[in-house]
Amino acid sequence: MEREHILRRTKFISARVILYLFSVLIALFFIFPLVWMVVTSTKTEMQYANDLGSFATFIPNFQELSTFFDNYASVFTQYDIWQYALNSFGYAAAVVVGNIVVNALAGYVMAKFNFPGKGFVTFLIMFLLIVPVETTIIPLYSIVHTLGMSGTVLAVILPPLVSVFNIFLFQQFFANISREYIEAAQLDGASQLRIFFVIMMPLSAPIVATVATFAFIGVWNDYIWPTMVLPNPQPGQWPLYPIQAALTTIQSIEGVTTGEVMASLVVTSIPIFLVYVFAQKYIVEGIGAGGLKI
Amino acid sequence: MIVTSIAIIGVFLLLFAAFIVKDIVAAKRSVHKTVHYSVRESIGAYLMLFPALALICLFVLLPIVYSLGYAFTDYYLLSPNDVGFIGFDNFADIIENIRKHGTVYNAIINTLKFVVFVVPLQIGMALGLAMLVNKKARGMGVFKVMYFAPVVISLTVTSYLWVRILGGGDSGLLNSFLVKLGSEPISFLYDPQGAMYWIIFVSAWQGCGYQMLIFLSGLKGIDSTLYEAAELDGAGKGRQFLAVTVPGLRSVLTFVIITVFIGACKVMVQPMLMTGEQTFTITLNYLMYIEGYTYRWVGYSSAIALLMTIAIGAITFLQRYLLKEED
Repeated sequence: MEREHILRRTKFISARVILYLFSVLIALFFIFPLVWMVVTSTKTEMQYANDLGSFATFIPNFQELSTFFDNYASVFTQYDIWQYALNSFGYAAAVVVGNIVVNALAGYVMAKFNFPGKGFVTFLIMFLLIVPVETTIIPLYSIVHTLGMSGTVLAVILPPLVSVFNIFLFQQFFANISREYIEAAQLDGASQLRIFFVIMMPLSAPIVATVATFAFIGVWNDYIWPTMVLPNPQPGQWPLYPIQAALTTIQSIEGVTTGEVMASLVVTSIPIFLVYVFAQKYIVEGIGAGGLKI
Repeated sequence: MIVTSIAIIGVFLLLFAAFIVKDIVAAKRSVHKTVHYSVRESIGAYLMLFPALALICLFVLLPIVYSLGYAFTDYYLLSPNDVGFIGFDNFADIIENIRKHGTVYNAIINTLKFVVFVVPLQIGMALGLAMLVNKKARGMGVFKVMYFAPVVISLTVTSYLWVRILGGGDSGLLNSFLVKLGSEPISFLYDPQGAMYWIIFVSAWQGCGYQMLIFLSGLKGIDSTLYEAAELDGAGKGRQFLAVTVPGLRSVLTFVIITVFIGACKVMVQPMLMTGEQTFTITLNYLMYIEGYTYRWVGYSSAIALLMTIAIGAITFLQRYLLKEED
């Protein structure tokens, strides 16, 4: 009996050891590039070159702590990455706020209002949800160009404001909110806009958070569109490029060191990293909501 | 262009107006007045819908209509007032290019390669990871976070990071170790045979954590007694996977396959930033971008886009049909 127990225990432990070993190996595969990125961002070009090809390439620069943050210093002071980061925050703030107001208003109307032509708008939304529009970036560019918006921040902010999928999400959400809230407020003489902003928006906080999180990530990570519609940064002027586009600019600066490139990659990733840490719940909910689409 | 745009928006407004009138007439005629519209409520609704509808018109509908229309023109971005209808000439050019094994041919081959390899690779990795972190053992949550980590960095950061890892000469991370081991440095990203596979690998590495989370929520939804029952029936691990896990994940799997497939068809940033314009890594979406944006041949670019949309739409439809049929 005792013997059998020990046998089972050994079997269990060895299974666990294999499981953890396996998990650690896979974890190394997924995080070694990220670790290397952060580690290299602390090194001078000399140290980087010396450490290449040995295990030291994965150890941060602990020998010369005085130069530990030098790459970050030069990325901020020489390459002005903070200006691009501020731009990105600005674009993201405008798109997140605008996206929520525009789409929540539309979703609210579709869920709670009765008006002639509603069938047409419903059809339009359903049509745009299903129809595969994978490649309209060039026509979109030509429209923005014709409207005289290319080269201005409007070109980055206006197109992502509307999202048919978000309208649909808000509509589903508001449909489940009882009419009594609206009727009570109407009796008090509140206007429609007031009802929307003072009653409906606070009630829809969870969905607003999900939409805001995804909109922020989308704008922050967008690369192609901003580089198409915004002018290349000129020396001595405040650039219009967001931070992802600035990575290309920084990459192509003559004499930029590997450490500086890595520092710029780290700075670019930190805000999104924080979003994933603090808005985890909404991201998981959003991933679930994506499944509604099908 | 402006006149055409106003005309298209005009048609849209006329359609909308026609439906409004139709609804009002129907309400007036309804015998028991079951449908009743309040003027105040309707005007409020239109005003609140206005921002969304205006933006949809400008930035969603117009591009769709134009992407259809431009494909049959010789529209050059810098001469918007000199757009001629040229019928199927763009498509004839594309076919001619494919026949001569030109850029379009390369782009099609590379895109096909990317899709065919990345879809099973990324989904397979995601499913494997999901099953691994779903195991009931302490600390699996930490591993889940690590496997998810690459999703957090953008495609731009991913591409520039891997350029440094796979870089040619002995300054790249991987090559520095290969050289230490006595090998010649390999130019991974400029090897016409291998470059596309490295892009596939990097894309799957970056993306699979996201699908892992989707699969994980699907796995949590499978009743664990089903596994116990299968085990009692003498089913091994492989049998349990096929008989319980796969059917339990059916709808999740359908969703993941279609979204990963559509995303894969549109691949552009990775080849653009990792290799630049190269015959052995150019993809259809990237070619469409180069033709339409760099060379400003909006007409030709739109023809490529139209063919892509049709292909993606047809295959997505087929996938949906095949995957749903077995239910």
